[in-house]
Amino acid sequence: MEKQTIDLKETIRPNRLAGLWQLMGGFRAIYLTAIAAVALATLARTSIYYLIRYFVDDALQSDRLLQILPWLALSFIGLATGQGLFTYLSGRWAAFTAEGLAKRLRDYLYDHLQRLTFTYHDQTQTGELIQRVTSDVDAIRLFFAEQAIGIGQIVLMFLINFIGIWLLSPYLAWMSVIVIPFVLIISLFFFKRIGTAYERFQEQEAVVSNRFQENVSGVRVVKAFARQDFEMGRFEGANHKLYRRGIYFAFMHGTFWPITDIILGGQMVFGFYIGAMMAIRGEITIGTYLAYAQMVQLIIWPIRNLGRLITQMSTASVSYSRVADIIRQDREPLNQGSTIPAGGIAGEVRFDGVHFAYEAPLKGDAVEQANTVGRLARFRDDHLLAAYGLPVLHDISFTVEPGQTVALLGSTGSGKTSLVHLLPRFYEFDRGRITIDGVDLREYPRAYLRQQIGIVMQEPFLFSRTIRDNITYGVGRKVSEEEVVAAARAAAIHDVILSFPDGYDTIVGERGVTLSGGQKQRVTLARTLLKNPQILILDDATSSVDTETEAQIREALQKQNRRRTTFIIAHRIQTVMTADLILVMDKGRIVQRGTHEGLLAQPGIYRRIYELQARIEDELQADLAASEVSSGRLPVRGD
Amino acid sequence: MTHHVFEEEEFEGRLNRRTMWRVAQEGFKFWPLMAGFLVSISLVSVLDSYFTFLSKRLIDEGIGVGDVEAAGRILLQYGLLIAFQAVLVFSFIMCAGVLGDRVKYELRKRLFNHLQALSFSYYDRTPLGWLMSRMTSDIQRVGELVSWGFLDIVWGSTNILSALAFMAFINWKLALIILALMPVLITVAITFQKRILTEYRTVRRTNSKITGAYSESITGVRVVKSLRREEKNLGEFQDLTGVMYESSFRAAWLSALFLPTVQLLTAIGVAATVWVGGIQFQVGGISYGGIYAFVSYVTFMLWPVQEMARVFASMQQAVASAERIFSTLDTDPEIVDRPHAVAVDHIRGDIEFDHVDFYYEENKPVLRDFNLTVREGETIALVGPTGAGKSTIVNLLCRFYEPRRGQIRLNGTDYTGLIMHSIHSRIGMVLQTPHLFSGNVLENIRYGRLGATDEEVVEAAKLAGAHEFIITLEDGYETEVGEGGVMLSVGQKQLLSLARAILAQPDIFIMDEATSSVDTLTEALIQKGMEALMADRTSFVIAHRLSTIKRADRIIVLKDGQIDEIGTHAELIRRRGHYYNLYTRQFRDEKEVEYDLFGGRTAGQSI
Repeated sequence: MEKQTIDLKETIRPNRLAGLWQLMGGFRAIYLTAIAAVALATLARTSIYYLIRYFVDDALQSDRLLQILPWLALSFIGLATGQGLFTYLSGRWAAFTAEGLAKRLRDYLYDHLQRLTFTYHDQTQTGELIQRVTSDVDAIRLFFAEQAIGIGQIVLMFLINFIGIWLLSPYLAWMSVIVIPFVLIISLFFFKRIGTAYERFQEQEAVVSNRFQENVSGVRVVKAFARQDFEMGRFEGANHKLYRRGIYFAFMHGTFWPITDIILGGQMVFGFYIGAMMAIRGEITIGTYLAYAQMVQLIIWPIRNLGRLITQMSTASVSYSRVADIIRQDREPLNQGSTIPAGGIAGEVRFDGVHFAYEAPLKGDAVEQANTVGRLARFRDDHLLAAYGLPVLHDISFTVEPGQTVALLGSTGSGKTSLVHLLPRFYEFDRGRITIDGVDLREYPRAYLRQQIGIVMQEPFLFSRTIRDNITYGVGRKVSEEEVVAAARAAAIHDVILSFPDGYDTIVGERGVTLSGGQKQRVTLARTLLKNPQILILDDATSSVDTETEAQIREALQKQNRRRTTFIIAHRIQTVMTADLILVMDKGRIVQRGTHEGLLAQPGIYRRIYELQARIEDELQADLAASEVSSGRLPVRGD
Repeated sequence: MTHHVFEEEEFEGRLNRRTMWRVAQEGFKFWPLMAGFLVSISLVSVLDSYFTFLSKRLIDEGIGVGDVEAAGRILLQYGLLIAFQAVLVFSFIMCAGVLGDRVKYELRKRLFNHLQALSFSYYDRTPLGWLMSRMTSDIQRVGELVSWGFLDIVWGSTNILSALAFMAFINWKLALIILALMPVLITVAITFQKRILTEYRTVRRTNSKITGAYSESITGVRVVKSLRREEKNLGEFQDLTGVMYESSFRAAWLSALFLPTVQLLTAIGVAATVWVGGIQFQVGGISYGGIYAFVSYVTFMLWPVQEMARVFASMQQAVASAERIFSTLDTDPEIVDRPHAVAVDHIRGDIEFDHVDFYYEENKPVLRDFNLTVREGETIALVGPTGAGKSTIVNLLCRFYEPRRGQIRLNGTDYTGLIMHSIHSRIGMVLQTPHLFSGNVLENIRYGRLGATDEEVVEAAKLAGAHEFIITLEDGYETEVGEGGVMLSVGQKQLLSLARAILAQPDIFIMDEATSSVDTLTEALIQKGMEALMADRTSFVIAHRLSTIKRADRIIVLKDGQIDEIGTHAELIRRRGHYYNLYTRQFRDEKEVEYDLFGGRTAGQSI
């Protein structure tokens, strides 16, 4: 039924209509058949008028009228059935095409988006992407479901009935279409304006919605300042403007339809007049006149809808290019690479003179490129903006033995996260070499690497499903309840989960319970532990967890009898002091390395941090002592 | 961008007559418009039927008998009537359009204004998304029903009735056959439309799920990739698009089947006309023109039937929409001014919480037997874990809620004896995540006192410490903020709302400090602004920063809705209780930030 085999990327064409045609791969035959069915339905309908002509001119005059009548009645029903059948089939096939294409596009885009590079996602806005994959896809669907077939229908109805009349009388045919070009122009003219009026109406609708949303979400401020009257006034302004735009929109329609009514009505009466005179003069039969009077309606009235369909079609073609811009992007090749060690990896990691800079902006998307800088400015990780195009890692070299723990310490933007993101090949580095177990990182397929490496990100992300689903999210196999609980216990979240009414079946997020930052971090930790990776990366994974719980987690991790290579990014000396190797980073370089004891013995950032933390403890004691003796108001700052 | 997926309720119940009557009344309020479109559309509809009749006369009285003059006369009439009908078309489009827009406008206005009066508890249990749907899609549906829906029904029924009348006039026996066909036609049409509508509802529901799935997989793409879940995700997504495909395809082919089915039914009518008409023709019971007219009437009947069926099928939904709007409009505010409440200019003086109990939901007490007396000018810091009741105390004080038991007295009077406006207008409040309205900086500060001059606004901004950063903005005080404007940090927003509060010159000042870290420079400015506000007025601060806490006259440590510890900083430190633990932890955290452990980071710089 579906043609999943087509890679939509192959179908992208710079010309929008050509692109839409290519997009139809696998559906072209059926869509053309649908249009052919429209033609047959129209033909059947026009034949009915010919049959009426025969009925009036010949049958009614015949002596054998009573014998002919049942056959005539049957023929009417037969033609009507034919017309109905073909109308139905054309609608069904067009829907089959439109819905099938829409599903194929949706599935493709969904998969495509989750396979595009990290760089792509860093540089695009979620809202914008969602807009494209929903509204724009729907516009393309409508193009096939309604616009293309609708235009086909109007054109075919015009042609077939024009020929129908022309066969009866060429003169009458030409006399019936005099105003058609004018009406077409008027219709295009109006619908372009109606389109604009509608857009302006919708814009204002958005303004009203925003005002309302602002009011409701700011209800505390409104009430606290008793500003209800002021708010009503503000809303009234926006609301009334929407009302006026609605009226303008109605006015555009109110002008268009009567004007074309008069023009086309005049054309029709004119045609009737010519036809009537010809009939009176005996140039055509009365049956011919009757058939003409019906057919002429199918030529003239539908024409005014062409403008609407053509205007809408241009929207669809814009949507096409917006969707094509996404499809055009390159995917991350997940399975490229040949090394897949039989017994899994041991976990020896070596960085050798690695340099890294974030990639240039998206290719081929002119709009995107223009917006990139503005977009990056809004991007959450400010350091990425600073790093954009500039090297973020310089000459990184170090070696970790299997089972060792490496700690990365440094300020925000010093390159810690960028460094660990290179390991699962989230980004590609420029110079130097990274090896795991002595094999170049690039020889491992990404898919394999990501199975071996577990990463707990700085900002925990949970999916709006149950806690159990969230913990088992990345595990490709069936897991037992015990395993889930064990992972939750190790992440010190088990008891919290049990305190919810639905336990592990509690849904998190918007439609369920809201977890605190620390709780979220622990659920994502449990998720990664359950995956049981050989290399574990904890990127500031316990920053929102209190000190006590953090110690608990650390203990649980140490107790796990698995010797895994661990990378820890942290801010507290306590978290990193037991590591086998501590790397102190600054501005993309490793400025100090060694063990806790070794680093304390030398001057540098590490010792400074350690000393500052000790100093804070001293100051705390002094502050407490001072607090105890004083009373009443204290001086505020700089005491 | 938000992606609230609020499931729309199903409406399978019967149409509620009372609601329908109320909907109709919404339209009757603008009866000239309604009368206007009723008259226009009925005339348009009758004219449509009459045009066919004119064609019949043209055939019989003109063409049939070869009377050129009669033919000309009839066609002239035809032409003039078309021009007249065009005027009527303009009239009904305008009347119905304006009526629909007007009803929607009025409903939006009433809903908005009504919501301003509703109490906090209403907003607590009503999600924003729910209210948004009332304001947008529900009002849209009701507006459509009152105008275009009603119009379609009038047009359709007038058209069918007048056509039947003309048919009966031409040949009543044939007309009876067509009349017999009508119930079948209408039943089939309504059944179809209902099925189609049900499918479309599934489509809409699935569509919002698809949007949700997209949104989640895009925001969580980094997790998806690191957990290698692409295949499974695609599988789940394909299930969704599969449902979408099934229902939208079904809806589409049902629609495609609908017209032919009705057409076929009308074809039976045409066949009957031909057959019976043919026999009648022989005995002179019907003319050429009569046959023509019958065929036209019957084939055209399809359209009014379709339109009416569509309206009837969607009516259920529109009435359900109306019901939800009306139920919102009928909601009474829970806190209202008492009959003999008095207005006061100031609410200075002591504040007493006297044996106050409070809960949001029954059986889930938030405050229990809470007692507290605050002297005028005192600064109270509220500390404690989330859910301990800090915000509740503030909400009660502002009278966003009233105590379930006990009393709150302002300057010795139970505050339920005062009008709410007196209390609200004398309280200045700064929220944790300050809310700014779209508009410029100046307008946002002026929100505190609408009559304030520009100079006073700037003065307040200076006092609040906001002036410095405002003038560094591109357009200074004219800079647009909020939706579509510049992005301000939480700290800057707090400075603006401090300025707003200063401008309001309140008797009581309430501040909910931001929990998120604010850069040191801004933090210092906020402290300065707070000091300006707290100087000579009673203040409550939900405090997260040590400097604020230490500055308070009294610190209240809350736990489970009760006062756990109360006293000055020194007293509480000496107790070595909760406050002591809280303080030491906070001290370390703040110092770490202050000393900027890793170096290279200066205040106000986020890199």
